[in-house]
Amino acid sequence: MNGATVAAPEGVQQAITELLKRGLDEKVFGAVLVPARVPAGDSFAWLLVRDSAVLDEAQPLPPVMSVQGARAIYRFARRGVTGKVAAVLRPCEVRATVELAKLKQVEIDGLVLISMDCPGAVPLKAYVDDPQQGDADFEKLLNGDQTPARDICKVCHLFSRPASDLHFATLGSDNGQASIVAGSDQGRAVLKKLGIAEESSLDAWERAVAERQEQRQQARAEAQATLRQKIAGPDKLLETLSQCINCHVCRSVCPICYCRQCYFESQAVLMPPENILARARRKGGMRLPTDTLLFHVGRMSHMSLSCVSCGACEDACPSSIPVAQLFSLVGDATQKQFDYVAGRSVTEPLPTITYKEDELPDLVAPYVETYSGREAAS
Amino acid sequence: MSDALTISKPPDEALRAFLAFLLQEKKAAAVLTLDRIGKDAAPAYSLITDAKELESAAPLLPIMPANAGKLLAEITELGPSPEPIAAVLKPCELRALVELKKLNQANLDNLLLISFTCGGVFPLAIRNNGGINETLPAYRDALAKGEVADGIRPTCRACEHFVPYNADLTVALVGGPGSSGTSTFLINSSRGAEALEGFEGERTEAKLESDAIDALRAKRADEATKLYTESETAAPGLDGLISIFGRCLSCRACSTVCPICYCELCYFDSVTEDPAPNKYEAQLRHRKATRVPPGTIAFHLGRMTHMVISCVGCGMCSDVCPVSIPVATLFSMVGKSADKVFSYVPGKDLDEELPLKKYEVDELSHLGEERIES
Repeated sequence: MNGATVAAPEGVQQAITELLKRGLDEKVFGAVLVPARVPAGDSFAWLLVRDSAVLDEAQPLPPVMSVQGARAIYRFARRGVTGKVAAVLRPCEVRATVELAKLKQVEIDGLVLISMDCPGAVPLKAYVDDPQQGDADFEKLLNGDQTPARDICKVCHLFSRPASDLHFATLGSDNGQASIVAGSDQGRAVLKKLGIAEESSLDAWERAVAERQEQRQQARAEAQATLRQKIAGPDKLLETLSQCINCHVCRSVCPICYCRQCYFESQAVLMPPENILARARRKGGMRLPTDTLLFHVGRMSHMSLSCVSCGACEDACPSSIPVAQLFSLVGDATQKQFDYVAGRSVTEPLPTITYKEDELPDLVAPYVETYSGREAAS
Repeated sequence: MSDALTISKPPDEALRAFLAFLLQEKKAAAVLTLDRIGKDAAPAYSLITDAKELESAAPLLPIMPANAGKLLAEITELGPSPEPIAAVLKPCELRALVELKKLNQANLDNLLLISFTCGGVFPLAIRNNGGINETLPAYRDALAKGEVADGIRPTCRACEHFVPYNADLTVALVGGPGSSGTSTFLINSSRGAEALEGFEGERTEAKLESDAIDALRAKRADEATKLYTESETAAPGLDGLISIFGRCLSCRACSTVCPICYCELCYFDSVTEDPAPNKYEAQLRHRKATRVPPGTIAFHLGRMTHMVISCVGCGMCSDVCPVSIPVATLFSMVGKSADKVFSYVPGKDLDEELPLKKYEVDELSHLGEERIES
């Protein structure tokens, strides 16, 4: 496998920006979606750029994940785009975009997805409260020190090579250089149009990615084992979520939770006061707002097969609940059931829309036994 | 002077005992109060029907995990409670409830509303760090002296409506007993009087207004001037709005927790605002780049026009904002000036109509004249 080596004397940000500029100037892209620092300097926002001069302001790999990239795409490209629009995304944002495409919430034709080896992100609120410290922390991440990263990023094993059209490979390469890897025919066509040849070997990068992947997988397994101890079972789960105030911000920032109106905010969950009082009486007291656990478990059942562990939920939670770690633990397990990895490929069908006559026999068997036993008894 | 009951227990304990009394005497089928349940005693609201469950109740804890006015509206949204419910609310939560009643989103029948002179609440983050217990002694001390407590929400520092309106019973906390170990419940309605009947205490006559309350009101007014003139939210202009809301994620957490924003589906999340290629293309025809998601400032200004007349300045929006935008400061500031135009105080008078529902032939004529002149 070969890639195109490009000079990046000032880091990968610059290399990506150069490609975007050329893409716009040479009309390979009609527009470019890229993060840029907001005027106040305390965070980053997505810009859809037509004029390449604006790209001087761009920061393709920002220290934080403000709005999840897939959510940004959903907010303008849900009904498709005109021409080609290049979007620069972290790998988990690419994966979420792929999931949204499969969920028919993003029209992916016309999008050129560009990704990079992701060093992780620093927590959003901490960054906003002290951008200078945040920038220093992100510098550490870029230099391989993961201490200031979000917890979920520290155990991310899918930090590279997503299903993007073009990927900027930096791991294992000398400083001042990056390789562009084409991941699709569309990606190769873009490189060809821009006259960028894929001639250099990617061996060193592939080795470096594999090595970090192995470390991260191990760290992930350990972190999940610890978390499982803390949250397994209804009582512990309830405890974990006990500080939830039902603000639903985890859902509103989640790239996968695309529903215009969540079931848990609909008329369907409204209860007449008699029912509320009756429920309170059953245990002598009831926490309000009601059913926070039901909301989380319900949301989980709706989206965990597509959860990309991006951490947006945890960044936004006002109660510091480790939502992302909880959801990715469950997501990993549900996805494993179906040999599915959220966002791995656009062509891989979503497990819940695939019908198989013989499926999950291990799970079904106990129920069959229970019910046939009951029938025999009656 | 009004009727009152003096109880020989500190306010928190007296109130807990009173709530238990209401349940035991079947004067209330349930009570809504802050409660500290679970292993980490996380404060949350509970609807309690069994007096035994009140042991963990902390009705006066200075924290607001949700605006209780919103919670009561959710309970009574489909109709009045068939049985009496007693609720302990902060003054701004009670004001939110009254606004929701006026907006036809809540029903006050069968509710016994208990409130207190409020010293403000700590930001929710204090709960995440488990630090509220340590801050309580200093907070109570400030309350007794009529001072502005350290560390409370910015909009609480600037709140001048800390003496409740429309409460059936008011527990005196500001300038109150401090460590003397007694408490005073002021009786403001016949419903309040009936509820207190038979509860152990000494019937007295008391006046809620005191030097401490006057002092606190003056200090809060100073704080309000400071907050609304010195912060980045003072007269921001368009550049200021861009600076304040630039980091907004469009997560809508502010409207989700807002007691006044009752819409099931926000206009700004409706089909009308859905994306389409022609929409962003139209933007890009006129400018070099456009922000995604679009309409950040439009959302905030739109939400403002929808709810700011009823804004009670509770501060929930600021507390939940994932990017530390001072939403409550800005909204309560605009709310204050909008309310001034209509001489309206949200949640003060149950019988006063919402300004936007009231038609007056001659209203704001000077605004019209300025228009006509120009």
